[in-house]
Amino acid sequence: MTQAATTTARDFGRVLAQRERRFAAALLAPAFLALMATTTFPLFFLIWTSAFRMDLAMPFTNGFVGFENYSVLLADERFWTSLVVSLVYTVSTVVLQVVIGLALALLVMDMKRGQGLFRLIAILPVVLSPAVVGMIWRTFMLAPEFGIVDFLAINAGLGSKNWLGDPLLAMISVIVIHTWQWTPFAFMVLLASLASLPEDIYEAARLDRATAWQRFRRITLPLLRPAIVMVIIMRTMVALTAFAAIFTVTGGGPGTATEILNLYAYRKSFTELSIGYGSALAVALLIVTILISAILFAMRRAK
Amino acid sequence: MSGRGQVQFRDIVKMHGDFAALKDVSFEIKPGEFFALLGPSGSGKSTTLRILAGLDAPTSGRVFIDGKDVTSTDARDRDIAMVFQSYALYPHMTVAENISFPLEMANMPKAEISAAVKDAARKVRIDHLLDRKPGQLSGGQQQRCALARAIVRKARLFLLDEPLSNLDAKLRLETRAELKKLQRSLDVTAVYVTHDQEEAMTLADRMAVFMAGEIQQVGTPAEVFARPNSIEIAGFIGNPPMNLVPARYSNGDVIIAGHRFKTIMQASGERDVVAGIRPGALRVAPSGLSARVELVEDLGDTAVLDLDCAGTLIRVRVSDENVPREGDTISITARAQDIHLFDPTTGKRL
Repeated sequence: MTQAATTTARDFGRVLAQRERRFAAALLAPAFLALMATTTFPLFFLIWTSAFRMDLAMPFTNGFVGFENYSVLLADERFWTSLVVSLVYTVSTVVLQVVIGLALALLVMDMKRGQGLFRLIAILPVVLSPAVVGMIWRTFMLAPEFGIVDFLAINAGLGSKNWLGDPLLAMISVIVIHTWQWTPFAFMVLLASLASLPEDIYEAARLDRATAWQRFRRITLPLLRPAIVMVIIMRTMVALTAFAAIFTVTGGGPGTATEILNLYAYRKSFTELSIGYGSALAVALLIVTILISAILFAMRRAK
Repeated sequence: MSGRGQVQFRDIVKMHGDFAALKDVSFEIKPGEFFALLGPSGSGKSTTLRILAGLDAPTSGRVFIDGKDVTSTDARDRDIAMVFQSYALYPHMTVAENISFPLEMANMPKAEISAAVKDAARKVRIDHLLDRKPGQLSGGQQQRCALARAIVRKARLFLLDEPLSNLDAKLRLETRAELKKLQRSLDVTAVYVTHDQEEAMTLADRMAVFMAGEIQQVGTPAEVFARPNSIEIAGFIGNPPMNLVPARYSNGDVIIAGHRFKTIMQASGERDVVAGIRPGALRVAPSGLSARVELVEDLGDTAVLDLDCAGTLIRVRVSDENVPREGDTISITARAQDIHLFDPTTGKRL
């Protein structure tokens, strides 16, 4: 009797759990399908395409080539150059964002008034579209003679510079533009993290005779470490796949001076119309991004 | 006596906007003393400690340590160790790193540091926890870690801001006794902030009682207990608190609820007063002020009676075996020297 009763109860519980699972699956399905259709399917299609020769300028050569695109890629000097440009761009922008963002956060933290206003102003670049940011910088800031930056350079006695025409200056310009737009993100995250640190440990450190620099090195930095690592990971992934700002400012030029891997893949696919090889470049970028993120996540877990 | 760690506060005022947290506070702490700052929350005792530590600056007045004016000296140059109410341990450092931090900041050689850290940890009995992080410690262990960090450097002043308030009752009693022994063995001047009069009474050599931003009385715990300066202190010190009842003074006697008690005052004349009698100073006697027992709180070895004396509540602590029952009518008396008289308008002792 009791056994029968418990069995029924258990069955009933199982039926309930099953019904709940089904309901959950039904709720999940639309979003899941949309996600599959817009991210997973294109990804596999990209990998599939990269195994073909698909040249819209010479359609008669199209066909399955297996790994040929990849062996070409490894011997392609322009690929390696663009990879180096990508890495230089990523490392310098991320380092600048973290350093400037942290400095600003420390500064604003000590502000007695106007913190809210500062935060509001700081968030503005982040909400702009990178394409818009690129246009603003190209015309308003960097245009020879009329741009604000060039105007300041002339007045500072440096003379007018061809900011986007000189290979080195163009690289510096796109790095500065990216840093300008995204430092507020690092600033906001680090400021929030700073604000959550308890004040009493700083008082304890003062009584323990730590100087301001020692308090920063021994207390603030270690406690901010998780937030800093998180900012580095997020910003690195975005910087590796940056596109719109560089595309609108320099288009990868002059020559290939600012051609990051992403831009090279784009140019190959949509300017030169060799879609198969462009796909292989995109897959290479994907692999590089995954590798670097894996290293960063491993470093995050290390301590 | 270590001969150092002498403190003097001279006319200290601390304003927070229009609110005066401290109104003209002056006192002196002798070298080697265990000095308590006692008062209810918001009375200014923690502010006093923070000004002494150099964490806050006074609005006006001067602070002297060992005869030197340190009012504008930064906290890190005052040579003061402090245990915070929140313990303020560095969460990312192990216990050993926490304790060694003040030594590292003083540029002590590495070899000496590890010996000093072990020594300090042994003194507060956490030498088996040196590799743990503060988050892995219990409240009592964290408290000991904070203590060790404060004593590892031989600072000239040792400040404690309500160090026992976050411990449970049993641990608090144990730690209290240890703290006293520790202070004696270190032979250091200690300044102790607490709102718990029992802590101050048991630990302190001398204490300052704060009320509403002012020091109302400074003295040994026994002095303050025996001769409270004002109605407020009388009501604050002692548990259960002193009975304070409106009464009439008349030529050496005081009339409470119609009964005449002898006092040690000799002034002639009549006036309104507030009479204070400690619950423990009242005796059940064959004759005296008659009262009805409203409530009996039996504490085991003693009992506290709530008495109704013609509409006035009076509490009595009795330790006799035959405790009266609720509803009984009894008589109580008190010795003349146990009756304190206060001015009802100024609250001062008469």
